[in-house]
Amino acid sequence: MKKVKILFLVVFSLFALILTSCVPGGGTQPAQGWAGTVFHDGTLYVGSTDGRVVAVNPLTQNIEWSYAIAASSSSSGIMSCGQTSVPTAIYGTSAVDGDLVYIGTYDGKVLSLSTSARSQDLPFPQKRSGEWKWICSGGIVGSSVVDGDAVYITSSNGRVYSLDKEFGDLNWESDILDEKLWTTLVIRGDTIYVSTFDGHIYTLSTETGKKLPWTFKSDVGFISSPMLYDNSIFVGSFDNKLYVIKVGDDEPKWEFSGGRWFWAAPVVEDGVVYAGCLDGKVYAIDADSGRELWEFDAGGPIVASPILVDDSLVVAAESGNVYVINSKTGIGERIKNPEGDNKPSIGAPVRATLCAHEGTVYIHAQDNCLYTLDIGEERISWRLPLAIKQES
Amino acid sequence: MELWNAIILNPVLNGLIALSSILSNNFGLAIIALTIIVRLIILPLTLKQLNSTKAMQGMQPKIQELQKKYGKNQQKLQQEMMKVYKEAGVNPLGCLWPMVVQFPVWIALYQSIMRALATTPESLLDLSQHLYSWQAVSQAFPLSSHFLWLNLGGQGDLILAIIVGATMWVQQKMTTAPSPDPRQQSMNSMMQLMMPLMFGMFVLMFPGGLGLFWAASNVIGIVIQYFIGGGWGYLRSRSSAPTTPAVASKRASQKGS
Repeated sequence: MKKVKILFLVVFSLFALILTSCVPGGGTQPAQGWAGTVFHDGTLYVGSTDGRVVAVNPLTQNIEWSYAIAASSSSSGIMSCGQTSVPTAIYGTSAVDGDLVYIGTYDGKVLSLSTSARSQDLPFPQKRSGEWKWICSGGIVGSSVVDGDAVYITSSNGRVYSLDKEFGDLNWESDILDEKLWTTLVIRGDTIYVSTFDGHIYTLSTETGKKLPWTFKSDVGFISSPMLYDNSIFVGSFDNKLYVIKVGDDEPKWEFSGGRWFWAAPVVEDGVVYAGCLDGKVYAIDADSGRELWEFDAGGPIVASPILVDDSLVVAAESGNVYVINSKTGIGERIKNPEGDNKPSIGAPVRATLCAHEGTVYIHAQDNCLYTLDIGEERISWRLPLAIKQES
Repeated sequence: MELWNAIILNPVLNGLIALSSILSNNFGLAIIALTIIVRLIILPLTLKQLNSTKAMQGMQPKIQELQKKYGKNQQKLQQEMMKVYKEAGVNPLGCLWPMVVQFPVWIALYQSIMRALATTPESLLDLSQHLYSWQAVSQAFPLSSHFLWLNLGGQGDLILAIIVGATMWVQQKMTTAPSPDPRQQSMNSMMQLMMPLMFGMFVLMFPGGLGLFWAASNVIGIVIQYFIGGGWGYLRSRSSAPTTPAVASKRASQKGS
């Protein structure tokens, strides 16, 4: 019977160890964030994966200032793998308006940061400079959108919020639209367009947050943020399709099948849709008919939306490979890694939204570095680590 | 890891999501349905375990005889007992196999629940790489994490912990034969208490979906035991552990004093 006891204890302990250990892929993946970069008035703004908002001068390739958003306590306890606190995850791209940078965090904070106050490293918030913090009951994954006098955000609690841009007061909150909202909303005129995981596209009033008469309902959920072009909404769904819905219609205008989810919101320009898919391909589709014009294999899932710079479509695959594709022909080249041809263009996964300015594309990779791609020279021109080294 | 994903994790994950789609997008019901399927698959092993338990019960008089004969020589007693088990074709380890077989399924289920409910954007992104291109799978999204009062992706539900602990205690009590050896009996009693407590604690730590799986698995185990094993088994016997003569005389002397 001793053997029985020993075997039992060994098996049971092993089970407990496997179940409780921090085995990669053992359970849920921790929220790390993948904030996109935005260029405004000569400065780049990006949310780093160590929970900071960082302002970068692209000319000097230096960090102008960075602000660490207070870390939230992890749900510690005996299962926490020794972690006691984690940096605030930031997924959305900042919205910049004048001197103010608006950003939402996964632990439910919305912040307005003054670039002048942050560059002087003054205590936060400097209310005179227009700084404020607003706490939401749900985490924020989508990007903040500034329109008129308000900042609009979607929240993991399923609501859309409108905040006063100047003081951070709540203008209104919408009804609960879904169990969670992780997509970025789009505003055209007085209307907000929101796609939901449960297969709705809602239209809301920017003034009141009330639902407007037109709502589109699909049998499958929408995974991507909506893209509005020529009064049509382009959106990816959980059934590996890209749908195009004319605003006001009850049926999709057309649908296009990919190999996996169209996670990233597509880009539409001159009647052509450029859609990156998690099956590793970029599809160019005629926006009117839904006919495929060309496809390009990037070799790995595409999480970040592609970006158009003149006739060049820049695509970053999650693998770290970056391609510059001729948007007319679909013929593209992989950007080589200076350290070796067999290495990905960037030595880290890319998930964040790309940003382009005057022939340069800025890429925030998951190694918490900012890379710049010079399209003319087709090379990564510089790399800037965003993490601030802790002084001992 | 790739092999684990291909052979165990992905089938369990996709099966769970497809079941959810079939069962009106109810993820809780899908977990219960999967539990039933798993229990049906390992039913032959469960039956073997029940037969083994019954055989051991039938051998009690023989064991008692050995207790009387070799009570003072524990080593010899163990040897003789093993000999008797061998002659009767009973493997004392046999009762563990159904549990051992379930371990990979538990781990896969734990991973599947966490992956399927995708509580972080990273998890949702990773999920797409594990999905089959079945219509039932794509139509199941988004999965609701709510079932009855439970948050299947959240941690720590006390009521569920109590249910898991209580059902596990009942199931163990039904199947664990009293031992003639007082030390063994004391060990059994301790295990009967420790296991439900530990699993109750696990429920408080792990996602509610895994707790639901354990609760459903225990209830199914109780039902199987009741109908195939013949009623409530050892649950109804209050203190049926046979005692060795030494213990009996000790108890008698304690009563007399």
